[in-house]
Amino acid sequence: MSASTDGLDVRVRNNIRESGDPTGRPIVFVHGFGCSQEMWRDVAPSFAAEHRVILLDQVGAGASDTAAYERRKYDSLHGYATDLLEILEQLDLSDAVVVAHSVSAMIAVLAAGRDSSRITALVLIGPSPRYIDEPGYTGGFTEKDIEALLDALDANYLGWSAAMGPVIAGNPDRPELGGELAESFCATDPDIARHFARVTFLSDNRRDLDRVSVPTLVMQCSADPIAPLPVGDYVHAHIPDSRLVVLEATGHLPHLSAPAEVVRELASFLR
Amino acid sequence: MEPPAGPREDSYEDLYEHAPCGYLSCTPDGRILKVNETLLAWTGYERAELVGGRFPDFLDVGSRLFYETRYLPVLRLRGEAREIALNVRVADGALLPVLVNSVLLDGDTPVVRTAVFDATMRQDYERELLAARRAAEASETRVRILQDASSAFSRAGSEEELAQALAASARESLDATQAAVLLLDESGVLRPAGGDDPFAELRSAMLRFPANDALDSRGPIMLQDLRQIEAHYPALLGAARDAHIEAICATPLLDQTGTPLGAISCYFGRHRVFDPQNVELQAALARQAAEVLGRVRLEERLRRMALHDQLTGLANRQLLAERLGQAMTSATRTGAPLALIFLDIDGFKAVNDGLGHAVGDSVLRQVADRLRGVVRGGDTIGRFGGDEFVVVCADADEAAAQAIAVRISDAVREPLAGVPTTFSVTASIGIAVHHPSNGSVTPEGLLITADAAMYLSKDAGKDRITAVGI
Repeated sequence: MSASTDGLDVRVRNNIRESGDPTGRPIVFVHGFGCSQEMWRDVAPSFAAEHRVILLDQVGAGASDTAAYERRKYDSLHGYATDLLEILEQLDLSDAVVVAHSVSAMIAVLAAGRDSSRITALVLIGPSPRYIDEPGYTGGFTEKDIEALLDALDANYLGWSAAMGPVIAGNPDRPELGGELAESFCATDPDIARHFARVTFLSDNRRDLDRVSVPTLVMQCSADPIAPLPVGDYVHAHIPDSRLVVLEATGHLPHLSAPAEVVRELASFLR
Repeated sequence: MEPPAGPREDSYEDLYEHAPCGYLSCTPDGRILKVNETLLAWTGYERAELVGGRFPDFLDVGSRLFYETRYLPVLRLRGEAREIALNVRVADGALLPVLVNSVLLDGDTPVVRTAVFDATMRQDYERELLAARRAAEASETRVRILQDASSAFSRAGSEEELAQALAASARESLDATQAAVLLLDESGVLRPAGGDDPFAELRSAMLRFPANDALDSRGPIMLQDLRQIEAHYPALLGAARDAHIEAICATPLLDQTGTPLGAISCYFGRHRVFDPQNVELQAALARQAAEVLGRVRLEERLRRMALHDQLTGLANRQLLAERLGQAMTSATRTGAPLALIFLDIDGFKAVNDGLGHAVGDSVLRQVADRLRGVVRGGDTIGRFGGDEFVVVCADADEAAAQAIAVRISDAVREPLAGVPTTFSVTASIGIAVHHPSNGSVTPEGLLITADAAMYLSKDAGKDRITAVGI
């Protein structure tokens, strides 16, 4: 099955970072829209003692290889799901747990629905299969809201010329932060950010939920402005073997704002 | 004592409250702890309306999404977020564009301190700049796409190359997951000609596809999402989902007179609202390709005419010589035997003289059709002249050539339409088989040998086969 990934180095493309026990059950952490693998810095280390921990940057984010960004491929979340499956295959992971935040929760759902031979559990943090409201479904947003987000992206990347590429605005006051780490923090190419925003917030993956057959934990924050409670309920109701846990944490970034609670719930799910 | 009127530069309190920018302190989850007078003045809120509320709740929805997905992660990870552009909804409902700088101060009770700058001027100015740049880029992109497509199309030397080029252009310029070009064949059926098609396997099932309806309606068929695909083409839903296709746009290829030639179908991995520019772009690509298709077809016809016999459609002498030369070169390389079958129609002159040229021509056409039906897939049949035909059979020894010749002989002997059975029409056949191990021979030498063998058959009483090795 390696024919599809011959000559491709996912470690470079997705800036794969590995740590932990190489013989342990693999955990793959997948970040959401707007940031990079740095998002997991307060959660991932807690699993290094028992697990092989794999961190990655989605193509277009962090220190990924932006040259691999093909609009056509990444115009659908399936492009990212293909990448995730390729990573599992090239790292030869089996019995893997995929922990995915926000939009990547749906990417993980698509990947597991297509091929669950290497995935044996999913943890979805703040998932939403559809952000736009429709008759009979509450996603939390209207299409106009998403256009407003694109405006906000424009307003924030106005000064950026394409030539400046993915380097986030410098930090002249604190040169000690100017190293590689600071650069890759949430580095984002403005054109890719716009496109990813569109694909993220305008996709509809409700039909894909019931294709997931592996045990799934849905982690829902008690007040998440991006993925409100009814959305978490919807995901839970449509993934057959799923459990819903509502965190005390609020916001859309529990892994940054309440890492201890996320670690606790994740560990208890894995036991 | 009353404090002196006017600014009090010695008071930090006053400096904070009346600084030329707004100040705001929040908890890390956005709960507002403290604001200064400047911010109150800009926003028109009472202090009590802001303090205790959540900062993101005072933003418009786009800014709120940006705040949650971008500003907060950066602030958390980096400890600060600089020059973030947000829209604050002020007391009278209007939007105030601001730029903010925030720092996260860690400690027992972490706090986020934010400086707020009025960005109304910047925003208006840069927004206009951006809109102008986008418009310029969009029209430049469109021109570039059409130019690139035009040069790719003009390089196409065949229908297939053109179809591939059109599919590739459409895929690239419309961000389509897949694109398929379908062309009408002589019987009016749409056949895949280029690109890739998620429905390729269903095409034989006599279903209707968006491309068919685009052809019939002479306009684009747009299916925005799986629901529309399901509603209009329920039989395609399964294949669409398997191929991760959620939207389809099919556009007809029409020539200058509006006659349909085929269609291009673009398949998208995500549901989408088709904006008029993109639909028009697909139509423009289709128009360009249709024009080039006319040229390519004419060239193909001319090339065919130059190399084929007009009456029977078989290879003419020039093409025969070319194919024979190729076959001999490859026989020399591989060492495999090569056979040349030469046949002359017995009784043709009597038909032509007795029943007229029209019947004669019809006999030649019928014989040509029968030859096509009995030779092997890779054999070349040519009309050598008058009622003489030649078949080049690569990789055939005496036995194989004999078998083909017997089939030819039987086929020609069958009654012919328009020819009474009182006329006897048969074939005198000569076979020359060349074994490269026996030494080299020229194509002409092989032809002469086969021709001579044919005359042996004729002289021996017609309707028979003579084979000679060389």
